[in-house]
Amino acid sequence: MNSRLIKYIILEIIAIIIAIFWLIPLYSMLINGFKTNFEATATPVLLPPKVFTISSYITVWGEMKRPLINSIIIAIPVAFISTIFGEMAAYFFYVVSERMPAVSNTGFSIISLATFIPYQATLLPLIELEASWGLFNSYQGLIFALLIFYMPTAALLMSIFIPVIPKYLIEAARIDKASDWTVFWKVVFPLTIPGFLATMIFVFIESWNNFFMPLVLTSSPSLRLIPVAERAFTGGYGTLYNDSYAAAVIASIVPLVVFIILGRYFIRGLAALGGGAKGV
Amino acid sequence: MAIPTLFFSGVLLYLVAWNVYLSFLNWSLVNRVPRFVGLGTYSYLLHQYFFKIGAMHSAIFSLGLIAIGNPLGIFLAGILYFLPNKFRTVMVSIFLYPLAISMATNGLIWTWLFNLHLGVDYVLRLMHLPAIPWLTTPTTTIGALFLVEVWAYTGLAVLFYLASFMGVDKSIIEAARIDKAGGFKILFKILIPNSMNGFIVSTALLFLFSFRLFSLPYVIGGGPTNLNLMTLVTYLYYLFYSEFFSASAATSVIVTMIATAVIIPYALYGIKRWIRRE
Repeated sequence: MNSRLIKYIILEIIAIIIAIFWLIPLYSMLINGFKTNFEATATPVLLPPKVFTISSYITVWGEMKRPLINSIIIAIPVAFISTIFGEMAAYFFYVVSERMPAVSNTGFSIISLATFIPYQATLLPLIELEASWGLFNSYQGLIFALLIFYMPTAALLMSIFIPVIPKYLIEAARIDKASDWTVFWKVVFPLTIPGFLATMIFVFIESWNNFFMPLVLTSSPSLRLIPVAERAFTGGYGTLYNDSYAAAVIASIVPLVVFIILGRYFIRGLAALGGGAKGV
Repeated sequence: MAIPTLFFSGVLLYLVAWNVYLSFLNWSLVNRVPRFVGLGTYSYLLHQYFFKIGAMHSAIFSLGLIAIGNPLGIFLAGILYFLPNKFRTVMVSIFLYPLAISMATNGLIWTWLFNLHLGVDYVLRLMHLPAIPWLTTPTTTIGALFLVEVWAYTGLAVLFYLASFMGVDKSIIEAARIDKAGGFKILFKILIPNSMNGFIVSTALLFLFSFRLFSLPYVIGGGPTNLNLMTLVTYLYYLFYSEFFSASAATSVIVTMIATAVIIPYALYGIKRWIRRE
């Protein structure tokens, strides 16, 4: 056997061992919700259940059902609205950047700030604003707050995806005296569909998983979103881990399934934040 | 066309400005009618024990993640680079899946893994290794959170370094192979020196993601008051709920300024490379 082949095999083994470590939390989440109460008090979280039961899922379902629906009501419009308007803004910046680089530099800095700012730092003014506009503790209030951060995020991602379009296509449409609106819908939008999907899925997963905004902007239990609802099962007083893990599965099943089926789009979105639209 | 985004970005800037204004007051539970006190609230904050603890923990979690995430990312990306395409894609997904799950869920999963009787300690005891007192002593609590953080965010560094490595001209690698250069030599002499981009963006994003960690310390620490896991971000939340409004705003301003100092250079770097493509 040649030495290069042996090296490859060693590398693969190392990679697989590390991957197994990385998967332990996912594995424990998936198996432990199926344990009986007795097993959850007596067996470690790393051993699979001997008897499969869905009783934990039935126990937590009552409290997780409404938050699951709420999260769907919030995350889908946030993802869609953010991405469509974010792409429009990105195209605007793209057009402006040739004539006025200072404007696009400022715009890009501001949308980056909105994307990466520790959003918790807006806590006090955000609550005051939402209270004075009558948005506090409502679906509209949650959507509004998430749009403050995720519409700029979408604009940032789309600003990275749009310049990949061959410039002459946009120039050609412009020479034909097409308006910016027509160029956007007939040329830019159709050519950026993969980037559009990547952005929309990225924003969907981020807003689904956001824990802080629903924690501070809602007070009635009927408006609870899923990451907050799940915290009731974190453990401590009298909670068994089969219930915790069943709640965790219900909370993450939607983003996980999206990640498994459309993960390449999510990864493309992440990769764009660090390396532009080329690469992965 | 850009009006909705400009509107929401404007709201954000307005919130930031409002925070700055509030931080110059002395508004709190005991001062219902706030007065302008200039930098008074800031000097009050700097003498608070919790503030110092929070700042220290924020520094540990952010700088620590940069210090570990970067080399670990290079190491893993270095392995993945030499693997076949399909296998590599699966591995990248495995390193990134923690980011697809809510950090609140991740915190919940790990809280049970840190359980002294039923968690990973069970396996350690089986292997006759010393069990770790995870969430029961201050030092190991910080270590436990740090471990979760590395698990959750290292995938980002792997992705960015891998993208940098893949961007290196294949003909250079082929030439090196013909000269009988081994994998290590290719990694250290060609790939790593050509991945400045990976280093810059990994460092910036690892910092920004760890600096705004909230759900992990909140869930693992059992609320915002766990002193062992208090960061600047959980501290400002704690101040808000104990109705030290101006102090909370001042902490927010400090957090925003530190983050902005990283975000603006990142934005200018990004616009040059990815948008103007210079």
